[in-house]
Amino acid sequence: MNSMSDERTLLNTFHEIASHPRRQMDQYLSRGLKIVGCQAPYAPEEIVHAMGMVPMGLWGADMALSEAKRYFPTFICSIMQSMVELGIRGAYDGMSCILMPSLCDAMQATVENWKYAVPSIPIVYADYPQNRFGKAGHDYLRATHERQIARLTELTGATCTDEALRQSIEIYKEHAETMKAFSELAGKCGMKPSDRSAVFKSAWFMLKQEHTALVRELMAVMKPCGEKKIGVMTTGILADQPGLLQIMDKLNMTVLCDDVAHESRQSFFCYPKAETPLDTLADKFCTMKHCSLIYDPQKTRISLILEEARAHGAKGIIFIQTKFCDPEEFDYVFLKRACENAGIPLIMIEVDRQMTNYDQAGTALQTFCEMIQ
Amino acid sequence: MAEEQVVKKKRVVDPNSAAYKLGQITARNYTEAWEAKERGEKIGWCSSNFPQEIHRTLGIKVVYPENQAVAIAVRGGGTRGCDEAEAEGYSNDICAYARISAAYAKNPHAPEQDMPLPDFLLCCNNICNCMIKWYENVALDLNIPLIMIDIPFNHFYKATPEQIAYVGQQFRDAIAQLEAITGKKWDEERFREVCACTNATSKAMLRVADYLQYEPSPLAGFDLFNHMGVLITALGAPDSAAAFNQLADEYEALIKAGRSTFRGEREDYRIMFEGIACWPHLKFTSKSLIAKNINVAATIYAVAATHVYNTFDEMIASYYTIPGAMNLELSRDRRVQLCKANHVQGMLVHTNRSCKNWSGIMPEMSRQIGEICHIPVVAFDGDQADPRNFSEAQYETRVQGLMEIMQENKAGEQHV
Repeated sequence: MNSMSDERTLLNTFHEIASHPRRQMDQYLSRGLKIVGCQAPYAPEEIVHAMGMVPMGLWGADMALSEAKRYFPTFICSIMQSMVELGIRGAYDGMSCILMPSLCDAMQATVENWKYAVPSIPIVYADYPQNRFGKAGHDYLRATHERQIARLTELTGATCTDEALRQSIEIYKEHAETMKAFSELAGKCGMKPSDRSAVFKSAWFMLKQEHTALVRELMAVMKPCGEKKIGVMTTGILADQPGLLQIMDKLNMTVLCDDVAHESRQSFFCYPKAETPLDTLADKFCTMKHCSLIYDPQKTRISLILEEARAHGAKGIIFIQTKFCDPEEFDYVFLKRACENAGIPLIMIEVDRQMTNYDQAGTALQTFCEMIQ
Repeated sequence: MAEEQVVKKKRVVDPNSAAYKLGQITARNYTEAWEAKERGEKIGWCSSNFPQEIHRTLGIKVVYPENQAVAIAVRGGGTRGCDEAEAEGYSNDICAYARISAAYAKNPHAPEQDMPLPDFLLCCNNICNCMIKWYENVALDLNIPLIMIDIPFNHFYKATPEQIAYVGQQFRDAIAQLEAITGKKWDEERFREVCACTNATSKAMLRVADYLQYEPSPLAGFDLFNHMGVLITALGAPDSAAAFNQLADEYEALIKAGRSTFRGEREDYRIMFEGIACWPHLKFTSKSLIAKNINVAATIYAVAATHVYNTFDEMIASYYTIPGAMNLELSRDRRVQLCKANHVQGMLVHTNRSCKNWSGIMPEMSRQIGEICHIPVVAFDGDQADPRNFSEAQYETRVQGLMEIMQENKAGEQHV
């Protein structure tokens, strides 16, 4: 087997995992491990990991909604709605519980509706402080984490020690670094957007140490694609829609860097040194910036996007707007202005978990490509 | 034959009436802010449920973009404000209050309701998280400081000690930030006075709202929406309690006289109106109910901004019990209590496109309320400030449907 086929084989493995989360879940359950659902976009996965369980990311799925409509009006984001739909249909059966953050209004409603829509899977609240720059925010988050550990113990019997949490933090740190390096290499090699997406997406359905090992294996065999690609930056909440990725593949695009919450935004943090690992975990969130869902009076995200796009030589930026995600819609106004001022081409593509026809997005992206080439 | 010109006489409000006094209190808020601005004082824009004890104690004048957006929407400027924001890149899925406000921050002229531009912003997200993004954008556009009190949505029934500690510390931090910005100093004695006034106003407003329990009610429930402005802008003002108590006295007098401010022929049906008013179509939504002799006998919105407390921690906890910060169970129980106390026969739910926070739990919550109270629940689509998200025909059909079920239920009761 030559190195290119190795690369393809490995990429196919990532695709398999990314598109079959239930299979992954069953595999972990068969190993005697407990599963804890971790609702998008941030949940203290490190705690779940330290307790010897498998955190699995929940970002909904591309599907038609029917059951969830009993709980939500139409104008609530479809990531949350499809997550509830999957919960009602039994896709998550076998999970011990679900960690649910409330960083936006749609998430708050989802937590409340979950209690009645999916009563079989109990909730562990994953509240975060928005005003997190001072001691009050840190203390609140630390207390919240302690409450989460107690609740997880109550629901699963698993316990958390400082040593185990310290080790899990190291594993997560290593994973974040690996994904940063992968993103750089994928851009340099001109990887297809659909392949890149599968590598990122699969991380949500694997133990992080297993994912890190697999990504490193892939990186060892990755080679430049040998074609001239149109290098872009992507930003948004989610960019895993097969319909959209196929268009980007066909248009010969490659993603040089991203600010997508489902992808690299998960690595935009550090683990500051602190007295205890729980303090480190609290500080991780409290020092985090660059996200539409977290209070950021300076909107540092906008300058970060521009810096990253420039640093990577991106020809343009694709703002992938999840329909009805108002935190992103508010930021778009400033990104649009900043890109206009900086002379960086920007296009907004609206996506939705219920979307089946990408013709309009395809036409817009084709025109965008012609413009930036 | 030439059509006869019908000139509508403007209703003259008795200057000694509570309604007049309450109207004056709301209007005074804008006047005082303009005057302070002219004197060179720093003034702020403030979200509706930011702890008003802070700026009132410091003697800082603020105005409320939500109230301004309501005034603009009620007087017909909603579409213009939304259009201006959308031209800047704001999606039409964003809250219409935020769109109107963002437009005003860029182009501060609104014939419906002008207000001075701010030197700082006071933001609190206990009504929704959209508030954070809205104020981030305005702060950046105007290049002014943003003071934030984060009161996270409370998934628990009661505020926990760590939640109280978190918000309590932010309360103290906000005072220090405002002292630095304005040069004004905190005074504990003044704080106690403001707290006393806040409690007195809240209790007086609750007394007013309690008159909806009478059958027939001495007031039209929609009247209460008119007084929201006082609760937001002048909860801790020394004269607000007296004005609300006078209003309660006037309702007492109406009961004795066998009269009501409800303009229907009689009060055939009593409903709970759920959600923020559909301000751009307030007249239509109200008149349609009146024409069917349906009175709004309960609304959580009217008492949403009241705060009754004895201690600092209780004050903080009260800011967690705002409709946008309460979990489904507490939200449901409070409404059930109102429906039962006020003998409500049906529930009309405003599915408000602007408000993802409130509308997001509405289907399940209203379903539970309907089951517990054995009342029909009907929803209509609308918006708190964008007139384009409402259909008169749909509203009429839904209200008609609700009335027919209430009619059947009533007939059933009579046959028992």
